[in-house]
This record gives sequence, C-alpha cells and structure tokens, in this order.
Amino acid sequence: MKNSRDLEKMLKLVEKPARYIGHETGSITKDPDKTDVKFGFAFPDTYEIGMSYMGLQILYNILNKEDNIACERVFSPARDMEKLMREEKMELFTLENKIPLSRLDILGFTLQYEMSYTNILNILELGNIPLLCSQRSDDMPLIAAGGPCAYNPEPLSDFIDVFMIGDGEELIVEFTQLYAECRKKGLSKHEFLEQAAHLKGVYVPSFYDVEYNADMTVKSYTPNNPNAPEKVMRAIVKDIDSAEFPVNNIVPFIETVHDRAVVETFRGCTRGCRFCQAGMIYRPVREKKQETIMNLAKEQLKNTGHEELSLLSLSTSDYSSFESLALELMDYCSSSNVSLSLPSLRLDSFAYDVLDRIQGYKKSGLTFAPEAGTQRLRDVINKGITEKDLFLAVGQAFELGWNVIKLYFMVGHPTETFEDLDGIAEIARKIIDMNYEIKGPKGGRVKVTVSVSNFVPKPFTPFQWEAQDTEEMFIEKHNYLLAKLKPIKGVTFNYHDTETSILETVFARGDRRTGRVLLRAHELGAGFDAWSEGFNAQIWNQAFEETGIDKAFYCHRKRDFSEVMPWDVIDSGISKKFLENENIRAYRGELTPDCRMSCNGCGMSRYADCIPEVNHEQIRG
Amino acid sequence: MSRYAVKFTKNGFLKYTSHLDMLRLFKRIIKRADIRLKYSQGFNPHPKMGFAQPLSLGYESMCELLEIETSTDYMCEDIRERLSSRLPEGISVKEVRLLSDNGKSLAASCFAAEYFIAVPVDESFCGKEKKLTQDYLSQKEIMVFKKQKKSKEMKEINIRGKIRDMDVTFVDNNYIMTITVDCGSESNLSPELVISSFLDYSGINTARSEIEVMRRKLLFRDYDFM
Repeated sequence: MKNSRDLEKMLKLVEKPARYIGHETGSITKDPDKTDVKFGFAFPDTYEIGMSYMGLQILYNILNKEDNIACERVFSPARDMEKLMREEKMELFTLENKIPLSRLDILGFTLQYEMSYTNILNILELGNIPLLCSQRSDDMPLIAAGGPCAYNPEPLSDFIDVFMIGDGEELIVEFTQLYAECRKKGLSKHEFLEQAAHLKGVYVPSFYDVEYNADMTVKSYTPNNPNAPEKVMRAIVKDIDSAEFPVNNIVPFIETVHDRAVVETFRGCTRGCRFCQAGMIYRPVREKKQETIMNLAKEQLKNTGHEELSLLSLSTSDYSSFESLALELMDYCSSSNVSLSLPSLRLDSFAYDVLDRIQGYKKSGLTFAPEAGTQRLRDVINKGITEKDLFLAVGQAFELGWNVIKLYFMVGHPTETFEDLDGIAEIARKIIDMNYEIKGPKGGRVKVTVSVSNFVPKPFTPFQWEAQDTEEMFIEKHNYLLAKLKPIKGVTFNYHDTETSILETVFARGDRRTGRVLLRAHELGAGFDAWSEGFNAQIWNQAFEETGIDKAFYCHRKRDFSEVMPWDVIDSGISKKFLENENIRAYRGELTPDCRMSCNGCGMSRYADCIPEVNHEQIRG
Repeated sequence: MSRYAVKFTKNGFLKYTSHLDMLRLFKRIIKRADIRLKYSQGFNPHPKMGFAQPLSLGYESMCELLEIETSTDYMCEDIRERLSSRLPEGISVKEVRLLSDNGKSLAASCFAAEYFIAVPVDESFCGKEKKLTQDYLSQKEIMVFKKQKKSKEMKEINIRGKIRDMDVTFVDNNYIMTITVDCGSESNLSPELVISSFLDYSGINTARSEIEVMRRKLLFRDYDFM
C-alpha cells in the first residue's frame, strides 16, 4: 500500500467502494508479522461474484484456524478501480491488511470457470508479479491454484507454479504448513515444491516434460524430477460429515449475488449425466448427517444474522433423508423469520408440498432441466428424465398456481439432429397448451422461458473425446430454435453466446501451448470474459491469429480413445475405461442407472467408500 | 413494545458503505443480537426500523440515528451492549434512548443537519476565508445545477434559502467549512451542492476526491440529540 490516503482518494472515485475495504463481520484480520505464512486467496472476478462462492468461505475459515497462517482475500478490481490503480501505480492488495500481493508468501487462485483465466493474469500484473513462472525470482510469492478447472491445469501451467487437485479442506492446510516448515529451514521455492509433490493432489507442471506428435497431439508426459509421481492422484476428503465447515461466515457489506447462509448437504452426484464434469470429479457421494446440517445451519444463522438459508449440493433432493431434513429445516426457518431456498429440487409431490409452504403466495419460477428435446437424445446423455415426468410435474405446478416455468436445454450434444431441436420447441408448446387445458381458455397467462446453453466437452467426462459444434453450427441451431419458438405465444427464448462457449472448450481441453493465447489476449487487454460487457471477440481472434493456435484443433476435432489427453497426468479417481464405456453406451443410447441402484464400476470405490443408503423411491424421480 | 433511538458514529473505511448497505447491516446485527423487532403487517412483513436521515456514501458522521421498534421491552443499556459487541470497526454506538410511543418519527421530525467539510487549499487562500464566505452568502441567489431524480435532467435551482449557516476557517492548509443546511422531508439540500458552488465562487480547484465530509449534528423539531 502506498498509503491509505491514496486508497481513500480512489475509493471516492469508484463505484461500490465497499468492494475494497474488507473488515466485514466474520472477516479475520491477523497481525501478519505474527504469522509464518501470508496466504492470499484470490477469486479472479469481482467481489460480488467471489463472495457468493462458498468454497472461499470454507478454505478461508480452515486456513485462518491455523494460528501461524493469515489467509486474506483478493478479488479482481472492477475496471474503474483498475484504471486508477494503474494511474497511481498502486499495487493490488488483500482486503484484510491491505498487503500488496508481491509481499505475500503464497497467492492461491480458485479456478471456477475458464472464462476467468485472463483475470488471473491481470491480478498478477496488478500485483507487480511477473506473469510467467520462469520469470519469477525466489522472493516472489508462490503462485498456486485449485478448484474444478484445475483438473486440466495445462493451459495455466506457464503462469501457476503449483496446482492442488481435488477436495481442498485437508490438502490446503498440509500444503501451507509444509511451506511454513520449508521456509523456516531456509529452503528455496523449488525445494519446497519437491517436497510438496509428494502430497496427494499436488501437481507441479515444471516437473514434467511434454512431448508432442507430428500431428500436434500430445505424445507423452514424463516426470523430470525424481519427486514427481507418474500421475497425480486427486485429494479426497473421505469424511464430509466431520470436515470443517464455516459457521462464522463473512457477511459482506454490499449486496452480493448470493447473500445468504449456506450449508453443504453432500458432495458428489450419483446420476452420471454424461456431459457433466461436476457429476464425475466430485465423486463419490459423501453426505453430512442431518444433525450436522441442522447444527451448522442454526449456528451460521445465529452468527451472521442472514435472513435466507440455502443448501449446497449438486442435487438437493438426492440427499438420502431429504424429506426429513426439509421438514426440520422448514420448521426451524419459519419459527425464526428466515426464508428457506432449496435449489435444484426434483419436482415430485413432496417437493410441491415443500415449495407451497416455503414460497406461500410468493411463487417464484420453477426450473426444469430436461437438457435435450427428445427421449433418444436424453438417453444419449444419460439424463434420466422422461417427458411423462416432466409434463406431470408441470401440470401439477399449474394446478398449484405457478405460472412461470424455466426450461434449461443444451444444444450441440453428440449425435444431435434437428429433430432433437424440434423436440425442444414441442416441449415448450405442450407446456403452453397444458396451461389452457388445465385452466381453460381464459386460464391466465403463463411465462415459459427456454434457456439454451452450448455443449462444451469437459475433461474427465464420457464426452471428453467429442467434437464440439462449430460456431456456424451453433448459430444455425440457435436460429432454427428461434424460428420455431418465436411464434409460440408466452415463450421467451434465451441462448448462450457462441464465441465464449468455444473459448471455454479451448481452455477446458487445452494443453500447455494454449497458455500463449491467454497471454497474448491479456496483453491485448482481455479481461472479465465471463461478462458480456467484458468479452471482446476481436481481441481473442487476434490473439489466436498471432500465436498460431488453432481453435478447431482443440474444439471441433473428435479424438480417439487412444489419444493422450493433456489431463491424463491427473488421476480423478474415475477410470478411463469407465469413461470410454460410457461414451460407447451413449452412442448406443443405453442408459446407465443411478449408481445407488447398482455399482457401475467407475473406479471411485478403489479410493473411498461409496455405499450411500439406497432409497429407491427417491431415485426414480 | 417500545420505540428506541440508537445514536452512533460512522468513520474509517466503513464510510464507503451506502445507506442501503447500512440498513442491511443493522438488520442483521439486530437479528444476531437477538433484539426482537416489531414487524409490519401484510403480505411482506418487514421489521420496523429506519434511519433518521440517509448519509451519503463517503461521508463520516458523529451523529447517525437509527430508530427501531421492538416487540418486547429492553433496557437501553442492554440494547447498547448487545449491538456494540457485534458492530464492525467504524461504527460505534454512543447512546440508546427510549422514545415516547406516540411521538413523531425521527425521520419526520428532522429538519436540518450540520456538516464539517475539509477542503485542502494552497496557502494563498489563507486569510481570505471570511470575506469569501460573506460574499458567497450575500448573493441573492446561488444557482446550481441539480440532477432531477426522475427525469435525470439537470435543472437549475436556487439553494441560498436552504443554507442556514456557514462558517469557514483556515487550518493547516485546509478550509474547514462548517455548514448547516436543510435536511428532511420538507426541504433538503445536499452538502455537495454547497461544496461545488462555494469552490466555484472562490476559484478553488481542489478535486472532490481530496475533500472529506463529516456530519456533525442532526437537528429535530421534537428531539435533541447533542
């Protein structure tokens, strides 16, 4: 910090200055001189986005429980603040003690979505930290990263010294304490990384040499350091019930995207949708006990004063004793003036009872995610939902007084044809018709929103080998849908931007060479690519052109099972054979059952117990 | 069931939180402190609480007032203690006072506010402050442009009648302005308009970001909080 007077001047000139001040209830400001390690936890987007992310609260809490570690937060400054900081030559700083980034010991980024990557480079630059690992001296902070996108770390391997793969709760403490020890012994960063490479979940890109084939595909990964394992196994927290979970959450001064108390109910998902990365990399399903969840919820609400409580998992209703949990939560919340929000409920009759009680007269929209328009294609992607289920649920919704329905679909799935798109329009039309059938011709208006995202093939999914549609194909499909949906009265159609979906694939599946595009795009001024007002297609096209990186090679090329993937150096716990089989089954249109019904042999059981209680009634939904 | 006034100060980095942020902050802190507020009736019940007057983003204050209505009775000292232990750095409760049940609300009773404004100026302005102030105030009209809330258009208005008192002293290369202006539902004047028009009039070109403003007092028809 140049001095706080300079900061004060800037705060008077920027929008939402409270983004930069820290000191919220629940934030922890230690005396940094009395700790061994100053750890900057960076979320590469604005404060409002980052503070809505529960993982930050979890790891912030865990690290700060260690007396010798001070964990402080870092976010991307908005463009107005960035401009002032550059003009005044002020280094980006942590919120708690306003420590300039270059004076931290470790700066750790959470990788939640690929479109935040340019913000990472910008944060480094604003912190006066050389972008490339190879340019950073030993007195510069160690740059680390973790989170779901770290499962394919390669596009960032030029910039990030070390990755932490998998569940962070245990690993991040081991890692940081090892760092403290090594620094006390006077070891160099390199020597520390050699020791850290022995921890489960730690990947040090510089410890591996990559060779490429003449056709540009990856030939091999070879460790060049005796401490580096052949393959990096992800970290797994075996017992989620006893895993540390925050009850003294930071309560932001300003409104954030999600401004509420949150309790995780379980991690992992058993449904096995073939496009879904989260459904694969968070396996196996591990639950917190109902009693634990209730205690955490009460404690959090008491300490934060939040007026809303939400549950965190990949599929709320799949919690093994969901009905009992929902009833207990509803009783508690209504008696203490707290509103309860249950995201991604599967809409069976119990769910309607619950929603009727918690929403009362304020009925918000209901969301369904069929993901594909025909049964054939839903079988391909293993989305176990039938039209009968869907229409039954929507019919009930209308009868109970809901009139805003949101439908989520994805276009570009493998094997998709225009008939599948017709299916999307038919579903929307039938829902509109149903409203009239149920309520009569004057039955009142309904609003059906069809939201379409674009298929992005992700690492560690059965579709990781698939070709993504080209920009032209996506545009054609969007236009086709627009023509079909526009004439239907009461239907609103939204679709995701095509260019960013393709960029997402480049970095989701990219190898080390794609880091060059990232660097060039950053130099040309790219940033906030996840924001429609931030993304600049022209910059990216120029960056691809100048670096000679071919988008099509990464996006639109179907790979053989035999091809070495850039992320094959990481072991997610799911066997590659399982993913291959699932891919083959997809093309045959064969459904794979929920793994609580019968084990499908994904390989996870080699590393952790996954014998969740089976509740067949619940799974059918 | 009782009505209380909570007097507090706001300073430090916390001055960069907005009026709405402060409302949310107090709502949560009151909840954490387990002080039971009375809720409004109707479909969307909300707790009965509100500030006497909003404070602009970036201003410090020595005299902010929050009015709350509780569903049970509390000792004033008890409320003060419960809030104090939970408030973030930058807010400090000075006093909690019981208000009469049928009295006017603080917001309705407020009519004026006093501000301290520190404007860095160069030494050549030393000694000119009294004359500048006198001349500035003796203008029949002080016309300024003010953005209209609804139309967003700039409209020229005369603010002279809303400036109740003004004094300027020179201290450590700063003009310290003490102004009392209308502040309330009937007539209101933002200190920003006084600052900009006085600086214009005096030929001072200090950037707004160099200027600090602090609310010193809120004046009420029916209450006295000094």
